[in-house]
Amino acid sequence: MTNTDIKQLCGLLHEQVQAALPELETVIGWTQGYDLLHTTPVFVRDANSISKLIWNPFCSQNLTGYLVKTPAVQATDKAKKIGVCVKGCDSRSLVALIQEKFVSRDSLYILGFPCHGVIDWHRVMLKVPATGIQAATVEDGQLILEHNGGLQRLELADVLARKCLRCVYPNPVIHDTLIGKVATPLVTVENAYRDVEGLEQQSLAERLDFWRSELDRCMRCYACRNACPLCVCQERCIAETREPKWLTQYMSISEKYLFHFIHALHLAGRCTECGECERVCPMEIPVTLMKEELSKIIRELLGYEAGVNLEAVPPLLTFSPDETSI
Amino acid sequence: MTKANSGSVSTANQGIKIVGFLCNWCSYGGADTAGVCRFKQPTDLRIIRIPCTGRMDPLFAAKALIYGADGVLVSGCHPRDCHYSVGNFYARRRLEVLKHFLPFMGIEPRRFHYTWVSASEGQRWQQVVTEFSEQIQQLGLNPGVRNPGPGIELEGLLNRG
Repeated sequence: MTNTDIKQLCGLLHEQVQAALPELETVIGWTQGYDLLHTTPVFVRDANSISKLIWNPFCSQNLTGYLVKTPAVQATDKAKKIGVCVKGCDSRSLVALIQEKFVSRDSLYILGFPCHGVIDWHRVMLKVPATGIQAATVEDGQLILEHNGGLQRLELADVLARKCLRCVYPNPVIHDTLIGKVATPLVTVENAYRDVEGLEQQSLAERLDFWRSELDRCMRCYACRNACPLCVCQERCIAETREPKWLTQYMSISEKYLFHFIHALHLAGRCTECGECERVCPMEIPVTLMKEELSKIIRELLGYEAGVNLEAVPPLLTFSPDETSI
Repeated sequence: MTKANSGSVSTANQGIKIVGFLCNWCSYGGADTAGVCRFKQPTDLRIIRIPCTGRMDPLFAAKALIYGADGVLVSGCHPRDCHYSVGNFYARRRLEVLKHFLPFMGIEPRRFHYTWVSASEGQRWQQVVTEFSEQIQQLGLNPGVRNPGPGIELEGLLNRG
């Protein structure tokens, strides 16, 4: 995607929103953050703010959580819909939310964006601790940064978010309007679980050590839970309730382990691997790995893939009497 | 506690603790039958009675293993025999997923077992609990997920509540 492509797509986005806005209560989209590597969510309610909306390879947030988490965006006028911008991965969260009846398909106007991967600024900073970024563009498989230290070219494989390197659904699985040309997936489902397979190769003791050292950094800020569009218990989350009391405020490794078990198991068969939990983790713990493993297990055991089919029922919310294999 | 423990034998006990989650209608009755029939059983099992295996949150088992229970045994009615018709159908999916997930997190999956025992199967209960107990005896004590080393005592003190 060159700069002209991006300008063109943003123009298209503005046109689409302009045309649809009379029917919409609000549009949830991305806007420019405090520098070129960051975007931030924006809620567009009137024609004057349409120009705030952007689309580029830095739009990393999954915006679907805003539809269900307090204070959830709701239409005061029931005849109006809510517009939401989604990438391929985000659209799967939307499918999961519609399946579980947290939002209704009819109340949504979905602006879908075929995606070629989003930049993980943590990974950029690891490569170049850049300050004063004046330009950042993605071209020919490279991220080109212009900053105080000069011009720098980084291979996309080194700076894309981990979820994008294993992305099977770059195109929105549901949408009302598609902005941009359909993208081709870079990996097949069979290859999408390389990261967890690497861990599976290790011995039990090595894996325990791996998770002990990773989760040891966890400070239970619950950012992963809060960012997760499918973590919907909110104030009833058993990680915080005193009754039932699952966790205390002690910061022992056992408590951290249990918290991540709670988060992962509550998402088993529901998680669409959008990677929000990992993106927001301030300690950079690869928490999505746990959900990936569960998705892999459920794929193998129950032949189900989350967030793809609107009609399907998540496998742990149903049963089949005829299963003899388990 | 059922009478299941009254006819127990002492095994080469290393202070092993196994948590058993038994469904009220089948396996708890099965354990009772085993007791009434005076079948010899290991004493490592602590039984928690649950209304149905459908009540069994996989996190019960996960929490026990994380905090150092040496084994977790879940037992309920045979599929299609559930008192509430379908509870164990839900349970077997959840528990099977947990069983596959535990090793990924570095927890020995052989410490976790789920099975089906009806109220009349005292003999089968004896066999299930004896075999599982032997397996756990072989695996030895479960340190949980805590780091071994000097930190552990402090952590233990802090966590006493």
